Amino acid sequence: MISFEPSEDQGLIVQTVAELAKTALSPRAREFEKERAVGDDVRKAVQEMGLAMAAVPEALGGQGLGLLTAVLINEELAYGDPAAPFGLPGFGPFTLAALEFGTEEQARALLAPFTDPAAHDYFGAVAWSELRANRERPGLSTLAKKSGGGWEITGGKCFVGNAAAARRFIVFAQVDESAGWNGIGAFSVTRDNPGLSVGARHDTLGLGCAEFSELTLERVKVGAADRLEGGGDIVRATLRFFAKYALLVAARQVGLSRAAFDVSREYCDIRKAFGKPIGHFQAVAFTLADRHIDAESARELCRRAAWAWDTGKDENRALCYTAEAVAHAHEVAMRCADDAVQLHGGAGFMRDVIVEKMMRDAKQIALSGATAEHMDQLAAAVELGAALDPALVLPTPETQAVFT
Amino acid sequence: MIDFELDTRQHTLKQALHDLGKNVIRPQSLAWDRKHTVDEQFLRTFYKMSQALRGESNPMQEFQEGAKKRDPDKPSQANRMAAIGAEELAWADAAIMLSLPGPGLGGPPLKASGTPEQKERFFSIFRDMSDELRWGAYGLTEPGAGSDVAAIRTSCVKDGSDYILNGRKCYITNGGRASWVVIFATVDPALGRAGHRAFVVEKGTPGFFVGKLEDKMGLRANETAELVLEDCRVPVDNLLGGEEKYQTKEGFMTAMKTFDNTRHLVAAMAIGIGRAAYEYARDFVKDNYVLSRPIPRYAAIAERLARVNRQLEAARILVWKAVWMADHSIPNAKEASMSKALAGKAAISACIDAIEICGAHGTLATEHALLEKWFRDIKVYDIFEGTGQIQRIVISKRLVTGLKGF
Repeated sequence: MISFEPSEDQGLIVQTVAELAKTALSPRAREFEKERAVGDDVRKAVQEMGLAMAAVPEALGGQGLGLLTAVLINEELAYGDPAAPFGLPGFGPFTLAALEFGTEEQARALLAPFTDPAAHDYFGAVAWSELRANRERPGLSTLAKKSGGGWEITGGKCFVGNAAAARRFIVFAQVDESAGWNGIGAFSVTRDNPGLSVGARHDTLGLGCAEFSELTLERVKVGAADRLEGGGDIVRATLRFFAKYALLVAARQVGLSRAAFDVSREYCDIRKAFGKPIGHFQAVAFTLADRHIDAESARELCRRAAWAWDTGKDENRALCYTAEAVAHAHEVAMRCADDAVQLHGGAGFMRDVIVEKMMRDAKQIALSGATAEHMDQLAAAVELGAALDPALVLPTPETQAVFT
Repeated sequence: MIDFELDTRQHTLKQALHDLGKNVIRPQSLAWDRKHTVDEQFLRTFYKMSQALRGESNPMQEFQEGAKKRDPDKPSQANRMAAIGAEELAWADAAIMLSLPGPGLGGPPLKASGTPEQKERFFSIFRDMSDELRWGAYGLTEPGAGSDVAAIRTSCVKDGSDYILNGRKCYITNGGRASWVVIFATVDPALGRAGHRAFVVEKGTPGFFVGKLEDKMGLRANETAELVLEDCRVPVDNLLGGEEKYQTKEGFMTAMKTFDNTRHLVAAMAIGIGRAAYEYARDFVKDNYVLSRPIPRYAAIAERLARVNRQLEAARILVWKAVWMADHSIPNAKEASMSKALAGKAAISACIDAIEICGAHGTLATEHALLEKWFRDIKVYDIFEGTGQIQRIVISKRLVTGLKGF
């Protein structure tokens, strides 16, 4: 039955996270940006609350609350500071990658360290985008070759979130050069592997408190058991992984959109021009109305997509709902942040006001996980009943590269 | 709990209307559009069909008549039901939706403001229409007063136990065939909204004429009439709500209540038309485009299709939210306007883009290609029941502190 009311438990979680966002994130967003990291105390608090593991099944040490609850949590955190979730342990793509690519046993082992309430310094990272895209054939440039009983991985990765802090990586590499995108593989690599080195931290447009770096893999040796098979269909698993992570990212865009809207609305009430509050001018008021429509619709589409996964809807349907929600949320966030700066006029361009940060964050978040363009291709392919061509529907490195 | 699943009754209604739309309505849609009328025989059959389904759990009944009295702990489903039905019927043909017998837009003000005697008197004629189909209508707009409803000039002057009405009403849906029309008039234009009075004016009342039947861009099968009131004498018994109702601004509030009740349903209809166009274009691409070879062009078209669909989905989720609120008696004026503002825009884009995607084929008016009809039908959805601009005024008044008007 159609209903928009979160459950009692979800309501309580949202309330708690909203309070945290209001007291610990929002007032310190500039500080985190300047320090280029989320404060230690905040990471501790979030880790103790176990928020990152909300969607992880209980059998794997998580809370088993489903993707919908995770979407609600991500939205509220981002309302306080949209960049913060990218710098919090467990909120990165590593958690979903472990779930989608690992066997139950592998996932349990990969996620166990995150479930420790004291592990606020434990990060994982996913290495997907390539330093140099492959122009010769479809697939990844980074190669994994059979060596002894295991694998040897060589290549250069980039846009890897939390790479410097990560203790463990999930690295994507080509295992079969003749098989195109079907020939990719995922591998678990530990930080102390001698062939692995973290390169320079990227200096980015937004998301200042989150670290993104390059990763070099020089004959990185891993065992056969370190390969994550994705349940046998690697392309499908990759699709599910990116869709679900993109959905959590989209929920952050919703939080950002709501925050940008609220800040703008308050400003339009107090800023006066020509003898009245600027909100009393139609061009301004209509802009607020349109952005409110944007933020509210993006919010509900994200919730519906999460609901589709949680209730076990047909996978293609869930992918389609997710793709629609993500593409819409990315566009909406950019419009909300852009208009927030615009409505503030010159003041919006100054770093004294938070909206310029929102605008920078919105653009970079739209390039995290999967872009609106990738998601539109995915939704259209499902709707057209076409084969889900990885070259079109995955955020492949030779098109728009994404942050992971 | 957050949930987006239709329940069994909603599924049944949706499926029944979908099958009827696909097999019966659409094949005749274009012919009716050309004849400027929906076949009366079809309307009879549709009416009988819904009568035959009457029963304790008849979704059709709730869809058409609204919810009965309910246990307050079990919220009504009537508005959710109506939105699902409206989208599906508009998917088949929006003009039919507007032509269905019943009180139409005259229903909500009568329900909201009528005295018990008036409700009995004017609603009872719809109870059994097996002998004859009947309609009600709503007359507010005038040649000189559209969005600015406070500017109406149709006058009403008390004369003994009657009122004498003079003026012209225009763009009245089913106005020519209506058994009665809720007519808005003013005792004194200088009083603004406080001077407004609403009357139920019955067909055949001396001095009450049907003027011209409009020739429109779209929705051509549905009747849109001009109504003329010349020294039309209406008994005080027909003053909606009785005289004491007008000691306050209630007269004007009646009009506003109507729109709050129906905007989300108009939005649902718009989505139905937009979805029809989207599905047509999607299937056209599936059947006609060579998907494998010219990848760049395919990708561009695919992206366009996806954008169209997600705009419609975004609008639908706002409609569902608005009707869910209505079912729980949560005030939803802002949310209803939000849904209509987005639905109008999204559905118009869908119809424009669908034609573009199909190329010249999209402009042909044949039994199999209704795209050009939907393109004509949809435009008015961003105009009637409050233009897109009026919706944004309604929304922004609820966002900006102290904003009364512009």
